[in-house]
Amino acid sequence: MAMAAIRREGRRYAPLLFPRPNAAVRSSLVSEEDVPFGARSISTQVVRNRMKSVRNIQKITKAMKMVAASKLRAIQVRAENSRGLWQPFTALLGDTPSVDVKKNVIVTISSDKGLCGGINSTSVKISKALHKFSGPDKETKYVVLGEKAKAQMVRDSKKDILLTIAELQKNPLNYTQVSVLADDILKNVEFDALRIVFNKFHSVVSFLPTISTVLSPEVVEREAESGGKLGELDSYEVEGGETKAEILQNLSEFQFSCVLFNAVLENACSEQGARMSAMDSSSRNAGDMLDRLTLTYNRTRQASITTELIEIISGASALEG
Amino acid sequence: MASNAAVPFWRAAGMTYITYSNICANLVRNCLKEPYKAEALTREKVHFSISTWNDGKPEKPVLRSDTLED
Repeated sequence: MAMAAIRREGRRYAPLLFPRPNAAVRSSLVSEEDVPFGARSISTQVVRNRMKSVRNIQKITKAMKMVAASKLRAIQVRAENSRGLWQPFTALLGDTPSVDVKKNVIVTISSDKGLCGGINSTSVKISKALHKFSGPDKETKYVVLGEKAKAQMVRDSKKDILLTIAELQKNPLNYTQVSVLADDILKNVEFDALRIVFNKFHSVVSFLPTISTVLSPEVVEREAESGGKLGELDSYEVEGGETKAEILQNLSEFQFSCVLFNAVLENACSEQGARMSAMDSSSRNAGDMLDRLTLTYNRTRQASITTELIEIISGASALEG
Repeated sequence: MASNAAVPFWRAAGMTYITYSNICANLVRNCLKEPYKAEALTREKVHFSISTWNDGKPEKPVLRSDTLED
């Protein structure tokens, strides 16, 4: 109270005794235009506004982290259960990423929403690397799931995109949806091998980009002749009235659908995990920024009080002397 | 594709194995009794928007939605 009274006294004499404050007094955070007009002391207004907005951002990112954590818990169980869908296929048909085919189609899976760290960029990077890797006389095209990868692909690989799919996560992910999608892809796309690029969820902090390869039945036949795992297919007995070619075709379609389902679920898990860690580091950064701003605020406040005191005391001594 | 073997009716009609198994699954889900049936039918909701690209230009996106699209 006394301070405020003294400050008011000082302000009354101030315009007579001192000219407008010079730039040396200002703190580096306060710019010329932002200080309220007519204020004699250094204004802490700007710093206070920044602190308020940083604090709000910190609260928002903390809330987003909680939301992502709860979504992750729900979907992680489903992703782990869905791994059992494609494991028998890999046991039967093998996963041969090194297969040499003419028509490659790369299915890139990404998220629709942002703020999830770097997972979409890594998926796109791997897809582009696969494209470059496949060599001169081979055709490689893209099928893109998710808005984020679409935005990145459109920049330089527009000609190679066959299909883009969006709004996949509007309803909770289920097998029916993914299988309808797989069906659409199979009907619209000619391929010898499908390479599905997604982020596999290993743990909350580790998501590794993975490629799963699904071969078309003709290629399976071809590879079967060259031996290896596929060559053992002939040792299986076929029941019922179907031929081996038909069974292979059914299996290949079903394999694609299962692998795609697992890939979409794992990618969704990785997205939530990445979002959790991104929001966590963002709240931590906001906290650090808030600490630094608080120090600046206190320094500015103390400096302004000191200058007020100096002005008042020198003014008073000038009057006496 | 060898057409000397008898092709199953659904493949002759243009369906893939995936569509066939989805229809079968739908039939099985419809056989459930009431509280479980509603839960199971929520697992069938399909919604996505797909758009084909020609030469670097996207066409108008087609929204595939509703419970089950064959």
